[in-house]
Amino acid sequence: PSKSKRVSGFDKPPAASGMLDTGAAVTGQVPAPNQTLPNMFAM
Amino acid sequence: CSRLHNRPTISPTLLLSNMYQRPDMITPGVDAQGQPLDPRKIQEHFEDFFEDLFEELGKFGEIESLNICDNLADHMIGNVYVQFKEEDQAAAALQALQGRFYSGRPIIADFSPVTDFREATCR
Repeated sequence: PSKSKRVSGFDKPPAASGMLDTGAAVTGQVPAPNQTLPNMFAM
Repeated sequence: CSRLHNRPTISPTLLLSNMYQRPDMITPGVDAQGQPLDPRKIQEHFEDFFEDLFEELGKFGEIESLNICDNLADHMIGNVYVQFKEEDQAAAALQALQGRFYSGRPIIADFSPVTDFREATCR
């Protein structure tokens, strides 16, 4: 078994920069993933 | 779907909302920098994620099933459904996941009413 390959993503905090300046980092909000393609999911 | 599903107070199944993010989530097959992505890399990324989850959640009990939505549509995007054998295992996992992060994003965990994924399609 190869155990050393990679670190788990668990408990990896957000980058310090994004966390401290706006205070808006953790809102539980889901960013719209496809803002660049507004027509893609038009229903 | 647009229905509001009830959230049970206890369930063997947890929902981790929007936890998985595909590397090509902005445009299929292309990464955030606009570089084409090898489908094998995407698969690898997914498998790493799956493994992380399985390892971490396995600490709380026997995992009956682990479903990860890797879709790109808005609905249920990146949702993870993990069903434990016992309700108290799910409760322990939910407790332990509160306020934690995965890859720089907060984990949003809740009980889910789904106990049979073959019947989980919303009708």
